[in-house]
This record gives sequence, C-alpha cells and structure tokens, in this order.
Amino acid sequence: MIRAATLDDLVERDRDHECEGMGPAKVCVRIVGVADLPTRFGDFRIVAFWNNRDAKEHVAIVHGDILYASAVPTRMHSECLTGDVIGSLRCDCRDQLILALKKIANQERGLLLYLRQEGRGIGLVNKIRAYSLQDQGLDTVEANLALGFRDDERDYAIAAHMLQSLTVQSVALMTNNPRKIGELERHGIEVSGRIPHVIPPNDHNRFYLETKANRSGHWIDFSGKPHLTEQSDEVVVDGSRS
Amino acid sequence: MQTLATHDTIVIGAGIAGLACAHSLAGAGADVVLLDRARGVGGRCATWRLRDQPIDHGVAFLHCASAEMWASIYAMPEGERIDGWPKSVSGRGSPCQPRAFFPDAHRMALQVGLTAWPKHLAAGLSVRLQTTVTRLSFAGGAVHVHLRDGGDLRATTVVLAMAGPQMDPLLTDLAEVTDELRATQRLLRLLTSLPSLTVMAIYDRPKTPPSWDVFYPEDSTVLQTVVQDSAKRREPRFGALVMQGRPRWSRQNLDAPAEQWTRALLEETARYAGAWAKRPLEFKAQRWQHARVDAGNELSGPILVSLPRDCRIGMAGELFSPGGGVEAAFVSGRRLAERLLGKG
Repeated sequence: MIRAATLDDLVERDRDHECEGMGPAKVCVRIVGVADLPTRFGDFRIVAFWNNRDAKEHVAIVHGDILYASAVPTRMHSECLTGDVIGSLRCDCRDQLILALKKIANQERGLLLYLRQEGRGIGLVNKIRAYSLQDQGLDTVEANLALGFRDDERDYAIAAHMLQSLTVQSVALMTNNPRKIGELERHGIEVSGRIPHVIPPNDHNRFYLETKANRSGHWIDFSGKPHLTEQSDEVVVDGSRS
Repeated sequence: MQTLATHDTIVIGAGIAGLACAHSLAGAGADVVLLDRARGVGGRCATWRLRDQPIDHGVAFLHCASAEMWASIYAMPEGERIDGWPKSVSGRGSPCQPRAFFPDAHRMALQVGLTAWPKHLAAGLSVRLQTTVTRLSFAGGAVHVHLRDGGDLRATTVVLAMAGPQMDPLLTDLAEVTDELRATQRLLRLLTSLPSLTVMAIYDRPKTPPSWDVFYPEDSTVLQTVVQDSAKRREPRFGALVMQGRPRWSRQNLDAPAEQWTRALLEETARYAGAWAKRPLEFKAQRWQHARVDAGNELSGPILVSLPRDCRIGMAGELFSPGGGVEAAFVSGRRLAERLLGKG
C-alpha cells in the first residue's frame, strides 16, 4: 500500500478492505467518505465509516494532520440525541462533546470518534423508557439490563478499528475514565497518555459543585431529574474535584 | 399443622418459553413444576381439532435462526416435519414475522399439528394443567403461588412465562418487597402486545382450493393473515382455513360478541378466497388477547430479580428476546434457565 498523503486516499485504500474484525463481535469498519466540516468550534474534516455488523454509520471528526501521527489527542463520544442535539440536562453529553471539539480545534491535531451507540447501545426508544422509569424513581440494574444496557466492549472494538483505519500510531486519550485506556490497549491501540476531560462550570452543571451524590448515588440536577453519565466517563467539572 | 413442600422452581405458563426453561432446569436436576391455565401445553403454539382434523390456530408455522431451537425441533420423531412450509405465499401485506421470509430463513410446519413440539418438550416434566394462578406473595422464605381453586404452592424460585401484560397483576404484591420488581412492573406497563381475533373453519374440500398456503392481504383493515391449514395435512378430509384479524380491528372488537367478529372474518376472507369461504361446515372462534408482542417493545433478555432469603422471580417469553415470536420465547426460556443455574 502506498503511504496515504491525505485522508481522501483512505477511501481508495479501503475500497476492498476485508479483515477478521475486532472483538468478539468481529466488527470491521472501513472508510467510505471524507469531507470538509467547518464548525463553530473550528475547522474539521469528517470521515464516514461503513460497518459490517449493523447499520450504524460511525464518523470521525478530524482536525489537523493525523495521518501516521503519534500522541493524537482523541475523544470517544457516544451518540446522545437528547443531549448532543436537543440540549437535554439529564446528561452532560453536550458539554462533553463541545468541550472536546473546542479542545481539539485549538491543538495542532486531534480527533473525535462519534460512535452511533445511542443511549450506550440500547437505542433511543429504550433510553426514553429508562428515563420514564427514572421519572418514577426507579433506576434498577435488572430493568436497565432488560432494556439492553450493555458493557462498552463493542464500542472499544469499533473505536480501535477506526483509529487503525485512520493510521493513527498512538493516542492521547481525552478521558476521566482510566479503564478506557486499558480497553483500547487490549484492542491493539497504543495509548501514549491521558488528557483529563474537565468541563468548565456553567449554569447547567453547577450542581456538581454544589451538591454531593445523593443517597441513591445519583446526581440530581436542579430540575429534579436523575442525571446520567451517559458517556461512561466520570464527569469532572472544573473545581468539583476535592 | 401440615407444612407444604417448597419446590425449587414453579414455572407459570407452559408455553414455549416456560417449557424451554423448565426443560433445561429439569435436565440439570432441579425440581420443577409447570402450571398452565389451559387444557394443554404450548400456549400460542396451539392446535385444535375440528371433526378430528388438527388445525393450528395460533402460530401457523415455525421458523428460526437459533441452532438450539432447531436441535429441539429435530429431536422429535421423524416424518412429522414439513420442511419449507409455507411454500406458496400470496399477498403483499406484512407477515407478523417478516424475518420468516428472509432468503436464508428456514420454515417448517408439523403434519400432526404444531403442538407436537411443545408436547415433546413437556414429556417427563411435572405439568399441572387447568390451574390458574391469581396472585403471588412472599412469606416465610418462599414465594407463594395462589391458585384460583383456593390452594397455594410454594417455591424458592418462580418463573413467569406468559405475555408481558399478564405478568403485571401477578407482580403487584411482590412489588412491595423489592424496588427491582416495582421497576419491572412499571417497565412491563410501557411495553404493549397486539391482540388477534381468530377463526378456524373447516369446509367440504372446495373445488378450487386457494393456490396459496398463506395469504397476507395488503388492502384489508380486518384480516392480517389467512392460512390454508389443510395444506399442511397429509390427505386432509376437509379444507381448513385459519383467519387472523389485524391488531387494530381486533382491539376494537375485542369485547364484541364472537358471532359478530366471526362473521366479519369469514366475509372478509370470502372476498379473497371465494364465496365458499363464508359457509364453513364448522368453525371455532379464538380471542387471542395477547397474540404477539408489538414489534419494537422486546427487551434484550430475560429478567431475574432476587428476593430476600435466596428467593427469585424470573421472567421469560417472546417479550424477553429481540425479534419476538416463538424463537424469542424459546431463547429467552433457555437463557433464563442458564441464569437460574448460575451459568448465564
């Protein structure tokens, strides 16, 4: 294979891509489209992935020259329609997404993997069913399992393959969850460092600073709704760490 | 005072999910009792006889992707399977299980009637039929299963294997014991099932029988499916049709007199099959209040909730595995048994 000069070359490279796949689900993705994506947070390119296991169309949001690069600042973000798009305060997804995009845009290079795993894999309808149970004060392990909450195993397999497809040599993972590093490494990705993902305080997340976890171990925000960490990443608001 | 024996496990509902679960548990040496309110096992995998001719008036044929379900069906005696049935499918209406007609799907019927499979699964199990459970309670380190005839049975583990909405009332007393069950009860209320008013009818063998085995009308507000049941039988004495109503129409007519909706189904069928279909020799109406899970409501797996003193409540059925249908019922029953045995 000729060394790719630009991201666009990866589409040609992946045209006939086949591999064993990663993880127990044998997930294989290939790059099928690349385009410029100017955003309010900075200039990016968006890379579309085709996925052999389900119809989920994952994307990578790329800033700067990441081809064959090392220590690339990288954020894994799971799709959250209610948070990312609607601005729901039941989770911190939008804060985390915007923070990641801003940080990446301000550096020489970086990328965000936008994984289409709505509600950590359970889908939008079941996420809303889970919210409905929480509204009634019920958030139990067995009900969540029945709705399909699963561990993040598959996310790591997909993320690892996406990084490999993008020719990234090693990543500096933007996360507060050290387990993510081990999981990515287990899937063959070199993690050269970790960048803490600390959200600046704002009106919507100040309850992290003002309250401690309530009796049930859940964060309750100012509208009285249980607050979820849907990104499987501990939420750290600047100033909230002891 | 006489103390009742406490069973390891009582499974309520001897449909495919309950049978699959009980069969696995019994195979592992557990003491299992199966209860069902009906006169026979199989639930919606049901066969009735009109003038001694078997008619499947619930599930019309079997199909699956799961190897363990095939293994179970193929463990039955030879010569009863009709592989590939239905062979001739007509109409562009939607089948209740679209995946049954994916190119790689394997379908089959059983010549003697589909209940042969549940009967085979039930062989050797301790089954109490015509036994209706009215409620469950928890006392003295056991789950009490209260029966309509007044008695009660006790077990450390009780499995509910029925349509989701039928579990709700049984959980009411236990929901006071643990939040998990309260959450489960609320969750079940978010998930809906679809009814189907059904008529099975036999005829003098028509001069021109339908050319199809199964017909899915695309333009009927009444009919979902018509199955030419006699096409499954070896040398049938009668022509036999099973007519199943669409969910919305069935819901609207659920409380109407059976004569009324029976006539509507026969007349609607005659529109497609010919006037003869209006005049059966004999027929029987069946009100399937929970004919199938409303697609999109299925959960990812069976539910198993712990109660104090090592007691447990399990739930299985077509609601408890993606895709619904007979396969989901079977798979969820097996998965629950594995979890109960500590293997899942």
